[in-house]
Amino acid sequence: MIARRDVYQAIADPTRRAIINMIASQPHNVNTIAEKFDISRQAISLQLKILADCGLVKIKQQGRERFCEAQLDKLSEVSAFVDQYRQHWESKLDALETYLEKLKKEKYGK
Amino acid sequence: MESNSSTKDREIIISRTLNAPVELVWEAWTNPEHIANWWGPNGFTNTITKMDLTPGGEWLLVMHGPDGTDYKNKSIFKEIVPHKKIVFEHIAPNFIATIDFEEQGEKTHLNWHMLFETAEEFIRVVKTFKADEGLKQNIEKLSDYLTQLTDKK
Repeated sequence: MIARRDVYQAIADPTRRAIINMIASQPHNVNTIAEKFDISRQAISLQLKILADCGLVKIKQQGRERFCEAQLDKLSEVSAFVDQYRQHWESKLDALETYLEKLKKEKYGK
Repeated sequence: MESNSSTKDREIIISRTLNAPVELVWEAWTNPEHIANWWGPNGFTNTITKMDLTPGGEWLLVMHGPDGTDYKNKSIFKEIVPHKKIVFEHIAPNFIATIDFEEQGEKTHLNWHMLFETAEEFIRVVKTFKADEGLKQNIEKLSDYLTQLTDKK
């Protein structure tokens, strides 16, 4: 099976979300990121690779260091779908509103 | 219900002021005959097989899609405060819905909060919904297309 590489996959893991939060305001180098987490450097490298494959992180080589920069544009894709999902629930309220008007007419004749 | 930063990534909050007294809104919500008339996406009909409005009581609902597909929904009521509050736990996907009713004279303010167990579950549901929406749009497109074809004949 080919692993999915999209923005949902990227943020589906707590460590990856924490990495994005960490580098959202400014780029960090890979060592600094690894020090902040209680998991092995290899594990961090793997998570960074997944984030890069998903298009949420850009890894740049600067001299002997590798810097990670967040690519936050991609995240707006998720919020757009969350909005759509919210809209789905809003439409329940629309239907309730319409139905209440009908009920009022039947009950009170107004 | 107040939201806080720890739940921000796994919840949906919507609210609406409805132009009806709380007694009527409560009835529309809690009477199976009524709720079947407005629950579910546009174009769907609903059959409520069980609605035991007590804490621990089951709520079984089948949504019938326009294409004939049935979608079973199961929830367990957690808290019922007449004219004030309904809390239920929806099973698969798992989320807790809290509906607060606030009497405002002849109107009622409804606050609807849905909290998913984990951010992962929430993302999964949003993603599935995205897939469903895409599917629905495709079906609509196909149906429009077929109408056009028929019109031409």
